Amino acid sequence: MVYLIAAAQEDDLARIRERKPELWRLVRRYNKPVQLALAAADEVMRFSEDPSTAAVISLAPCQPGSADLYRWGNVVTSGMASGRLGNLRMNPTQTLHAVDNLAMSAFAIMHGNHAYCLGLGGAAGQAWCGLEAVFERLNAGLEEEALLMAGDQDAAEDDAPALGVALLFSTRAAPVRLVSISRSPAIVDVVPHAAKGLAALLSSIDQGLMSYVVPPEHTDGFSNVAVTLEIS
Amino acid sequence: MSKRRVVITGMGALSALGSTTRDLWHGLLANRSGVRRVPRLVDSGITVTSGGEVDAVSSANVDRDHEIANRAIDAALAESKRAAAECGFIWSTGLDTFRLGTTGFVHRSAGRCFSNLASRFAGPRRMIAAACASGTQAVGEAFRLIQNGQVEACVAGGSSVMLTPFYLIGFAGLQAVAIDNGDDPSLACRPFDKKRKGFALADGAGATVLESLESARERGATVFAEVIGFGVSQDAFDLNRPCDDGAGAELCMRRALADAELTIEQIDAVNAHATATYSGDLAEAAAIRKLFANRWQELPVSGSKGAIGHAMAAAGVLEAIVAAQTCATGIVPPTVNLRHVDEGCELDHVIGEPRDVNAETVLSVSFGMGGQNAAVLLKRF
Repeated sequence: MVYLIAAAQEDDLARIRERKPELWRLVRRYNKPVQLALAAADEVMRFSEDPSTAAVISLAPCQPGSADLYRWGNVVTSGMASGRLGNLRMNPTQTLHAVDNLAMSAFAIMHGNHAYCLGLGGAAGQAWCGLEAVFERLNAGLEEEALLMAGDQDAAEDDAPALGVALLFSTRAAPVRLVSISRSPAIVDVVPHAAKGLAALLSSIDQGLMSYVVPPEHTDGFSNVAVTLEIS
Repeated sequence: MSKRRVVITGMGALSALGSTTRDLWHGLLANRSGVRRVPRLVDSGITVTSGGEVDAVSSANVDRDHEIANRAIDAALAESKRAAAECGFIWSTGLDTFRLGTTGFVHRSAGRCFSNLASRFAGPRRMIAAACASGTQAVGEAFRLIQNGQVEACVAGGSSVMLTPFYLIGFAGLQAVAIDNGDDPSLACRPFDKKRKGFALADGAGATVLESLESARERGATVFAEVIGFGVSQDAFDLNRPCDDGAGAELCMRRALADAELTIEQIDAVNAHATATYSGDLAEAAAIRKLFANRWQELPVSGSKGAIGHAMAAAGVLEAIVAAQTCATGIVPPTVNLRHVDEGCELDHVIGEPRDVNAETVLSVSFGMGGQNAAVLLKRF
């Protein structure tokens, strides 16, 4: 059986800087979605029995990068147009902002985690694939705990809203049990975002909802998704 | 519940060696490199002008990312005689692309590319994001889903369109790509060689159709190889380089062997990641020597990136396709551009010409930047 042990959401970098200076020192070079995902993961892993052995399933942002990266991209393409790129160098920190599996790598380093890992890319609705992967691995007894984390932003701009979400699942009993994730075919319009769908699921748990029908805009656009939870 | 056997019944490849799996395989057997000077990179004035270009789709095509992927997918489906609508889709489109369009800077989302490609498939539709290990992990994840009975067939693989100044400058900053210094461009990528100086970035796509053995038999499909094991791990060491002893790489290979319930004596060849980066090759060689203990001196090792460059999200699946051909023929192709093995990179390298060792079981490995590692084990059917 698969249980939700802990969940966290982070949307405020200033708060992380102020309240968790040690964590901030580790994540300050990263882009906003990664910083927020790692901060949320840091929160839920306090409830983990062994962060080094949990399966790690991490969603890449649908809107990756950073304002710095896009500014640099404009420099490169302007130079390309004039054929004058020459010895232009890229700040390695900005290189990191282009990497889609950065949160997973950083988490592994922070927690000494060598376990099963699955990075899911920035396509719409991959959050539910991540949830399915958690369900498959824990039900098969391959791990005892699994972290599902995501960070995303509305735009790769300095002040754009962003959100990080993390959920820790375990085979040990807890009040919220993940019963099933079901799909049925459908063609719907989506608004790709790695984190908002999971956040909406969490807010429904607060309302005591047993069967959560994923809003169409949070799906992959090809299937309706329903998540069944048993809350005791 | 008993695990189902999983086989490969279709393959498609677009690489610097051509637009078919046959081009890829025969180019490797001929010890030929498809890496060359790329005119648009020369025109941009950057210090890296060599790469693995895919000629089949014009670089001016704004839908190049979709086109390259779809051609490989269509080839694999046609070979397998399967329809997309009856397959799952486990794929990596790599990173977003940033390039110059007719009206300026163009950003193409990898996620949107995936969604477009996925639209004609049945579920599951999973987009893998594990850097350079993505293609291998896509094959492994599809294997697992079929093995466990969650799906009957999957298209698995990856595609990458990153041969642009944006990424070349980025990788040059990390000292990962080979900078031009007047050399023959076909020699840019020299895995395990004393003169290695990094990889040649490449575009490409590789697709496989995996399905249950029962399904393949019922359909009378041609089987190219059986997938028998899969392992992943994380280095948990550094964002830009592997640990010196290759511990994370060794762990994923060990997990693949354990998954297949095989011992090191039962492995006939290794298709290496072999990026030609200084620290990457040293760590990989160390990992293979440690895992295979007293066998490493007699275990043929071959890498494909000297011939096709590093196609990132597509790299692992292109290499799995090569491994499948090795399983089918018993022949291990040479590591193109490897001439003088560097100190610390000692392995039983296949150099200069293919080696017919009747290899039946091949380990194919990929190690991603950031420390994600994946390995799949293929066996002759």
